[in-house]
Amino acid sequence: MCGSCTNPFVQIYPRTPLDRIFDTKGDIEVIAGVSNKLADLLGESRMKEMWKDASGEGVHVYLQNIIDHSANLKGYHSKELEKKAQEGIPALVNSRTYPRYSSLEQARSEEKWHTKSGRLEFYRPEVEFIDSGENMLVYREPVDSTPYEPNVIVAKNHEAIRPKKPSDYGLRESDLSVENRQVRNVIKTGPALLNTQHPLRLKLHTHVYHTPKYRHGAHSTTVDTDYTSVWFGPFGDVYRHDKRMPSVVEGYMDINPLDAKALGVEDGDYVYVDADPEDRPYRGFKPTDDFYEVARLMLRARYYPGTPRGIARTWHNMYGSTIGSVQGQKIREDGLARSPETNYQSMYRYGSHQSATRAWLRPTLMTETLVHKGMFGQGIGKGFEADIHCPVGAPREAFVRITKAEQGGFENQKLWRPAALGFRPTYENPGMKTYLKGRFIHG
Amino acid sequence: MAKVKNWHLGRDMEYVYEENRPKRQWSIVFDLNKCIGCQTCSMACKTTWTSGKGQESMFWNNVETKPWGSYPLGWDVKVLEKLGHQEWKKHEPYRGKTIFEAAEPTETTVHFFPTDEDWMYPNNGEDDCTGNVSHGTHLNLPHDQWFFYLPRTCAHCTYPACLAACPRKAIYKRPEDGIVLIDQSRCKGYGECVRSCPYKKSMYNPYTRTSEKCIGCYPAVEQGYQPMCVQNCIGKIRVMGFINPPWKARKDNPVDYLVHQMGLALPYYPQLGLEPNIYYIPPIHANREYLTQMFGPKVDDAIKQYKKIKDDPRTQGLLVLLGSTDRIMHSFDVKHGVAYGYDEKGDEIVSVPVIEHSYERPRYDSKYEAVRNNTP
Repeated sequence: MCGSCTNPFVQIYPRTPLDRIFDTKGDIEVIAGVSNKLADLLGESRMKEMWKDASGEGVHVYLQNIIDHSANLKGYHSKELEKKAQEGIPALVNSRTYPRYSSLEQARSEEKWHTKSGRLEFYRPEVEFIDSGENMLVYREPVDSTPYEPNVIVAKNHEAIRPKKPSDYGLRESDLSVENRQVRNVIKTGPALLNTQHPLRLKLHTHVYHTPKYRHGAHSTTVDTDYTSVWFGPFGDVYRHDKRMPSVVEGYMDINPLDAKALGVEDGDYVYVDADPEDRPYRGFKPTDDFYEVARLMLRARYYPGTPRGIARTWHNMYGSTIGSVQGQKIREDGLARSPETNYQSMYRYGSHQSATRAWLRPTLMTETLVHKGMFGQGIGKGFEADIHCPVGAPREAFVRITKAEQGGFENQKLWRPAALGFRPTYENPGMKTYLKGRFIHG
Repeated sequence: MAKVKNWHLGRDMEYVYEENRPKRQWSIVFDLNKCIGCQTCSMACKTTWTSGKGQESMFWNNVETKPWGSYPLGWDVKVLEKLGHQEWKKHEPYRGKTIFEAAEPTETTVHFFPTDEDWMYPNNGEDDCTGNVSHGTHLNLPHDQWFFYLPRTCAHCTYPACLAACPRKAIYKRPEDGIVLIDQSRCKGYGECVRSCPYKKSMYNPYTRTSEKCIGCYPAVEQGYQPMCVQNCIGKIRVMGFINPPWKARKDNPVDYLVHQMGLALPYYPQLGLEPNIYYIPPIHANREYLTQMFGPKVDDAIKQYKKIKDDPRTQGLLVLLGSTDRIMHSFDVKHGVAYGYDEKGDEIVSVPVIEHSYERPRYDSKYEAVRNNTP
């Protein structure tokens, strides 16, 4: 059954008459299996009874339970929903309005907002927020991904913004080390911030590297089959003409062409991407470690005029390297980055986009004091709740150094083929130049 | 060489065979303002027709980012370059030469043969915009830096270059629907169709050693259903139907309406002279010179027309019928805020409200004892 409060439809995937191709199990069968085993181990028969209908037709018992306890689905019958779905007819989620306008009841003052006061709150009186200087709306630089001094509160002095200073925590004012700067509260004005530098600029780090979701896929769906993979970005090649390719597709980083040229990187070259060496790719690494090459990110650079200078991007939907995938590349005849032991297939030769990123656990995240809407129903919760009051910081961004690793061309070609032939930005051949201006037809 | 009528060019032109229009002509219209480049059409086609040996890098339907994307690499740049600079004044017939007229005396067309490597990166150029974006950039119309997605199938041309070039006469155009097919039992894989089709929609299969191409999903079309790429388009940007030449155009035929009646949809690279039967509503944000090169000088009028749709309930109605039925619509109508599509016999196959209505439910449903809430 598939439905969510943001989707107007609820639908039950109709059962297929085909047998499963592989020995796979549905979620409910996995839960029932675990529960059955626990029942045996613990001598607790209720754990078995709880899931006794989990296979075959009995699964409707559980679906109907979900429907009966869901405000906006109550009234439906799961068997009828499946029958409709077989004909391709979804059912509406019966939210208050169609389409659903979020927070309609609160906006109309029929119900209170899910806050302490019941009103919209733009200030935070909890002590963690006062101590962090975030009791009023302020802008903070990212903890890592900025060319300027990280994590600075950008504001003019205000009597209500009184964060604890580094010295209150026993830290030096100038301490910008990777862990301590997460909790460092320093206030600067915008113009003053622009005169600062990220400490890593001295180590030739130049780019904010962000790793967002790709627009047409969830999780790894874009790379789950070879035929979808070859469409994932410009390097997909089902025949792997370039045998260095880890798969029929490979990870890449979009970078502004002018930036790349300044770094001596050509379109399609392989580059290393290194974040803060204090803790990435892992704490205490030594370049001589066997694991270092598995963890250090290497991928293709793609000239991408649509990204501003100083910013680089990798979509985060790709499978990363493992010890097995790196070993696979070395010993397999076809050179695929596929683990000889498990057949796990990586889309990177080395590392992954997550080699550069990490979670930041700021004091204002996951507090015990913040009030919020409960996960289910209209009740108020307090403190941690999955998906509601979790670390959200900037786990997908980093400030990185980019260095050329290998040339993009293969078989003695220096340049990646589309660039060498003049069909890429900044490498345009004369025909391409005319074409871009639309000059092959004139009035 | 025969003289044939090419209404895209507004003049007669030379072609290898006599003019012989089919009883009706398969055609697709794409609204490029709505294509998001998700490749669902490419996957629908791939999993239906080209999952066999020798077809690994073959995508009869593909979507490429323009201007940087191309499959095979640089196909349109190369064809335009071979044809050279040509003249086409607004509101006048095309003065330049077609690929048939510009051919060397011993050849059928101006052509090139893509290499194996040219097919290897189907999504080369994805999302690359025309120029450098810098801090402070904002949007104008047309955009300063732009790109758009161009979905492509075989155009089942009225004057196919593949058919003209085939030394075995293995390629034929079906009189009943205008679909162009390669007879696999006659084809010897010389590759002349691959070389001559300027759109590079004929592809060589090294395993079967024959050339293959989009078959317009003729088994579906024969049953009254639209092709898989059209049925599966999640952006609802496409409609397949049968186009008439302008002298036989019908106002209630969806394709005729968009192409002839409204002038909203245009053929791509009409100057090549094939009278291709896939039509595009051009993207309003892209550079006009570039669009003229791709769609001809009528592109200005098409965009002007597109901007008027907000005051035109009939066209709005037709556009919401796109993607709302798997069946082929032979005619349509818009009455009292509802758009209707009809099959060949005139029976209704789909109805869609032109503007989607909002509904509000009671806060408490006493029948089911349920509280309905917008923030569940």
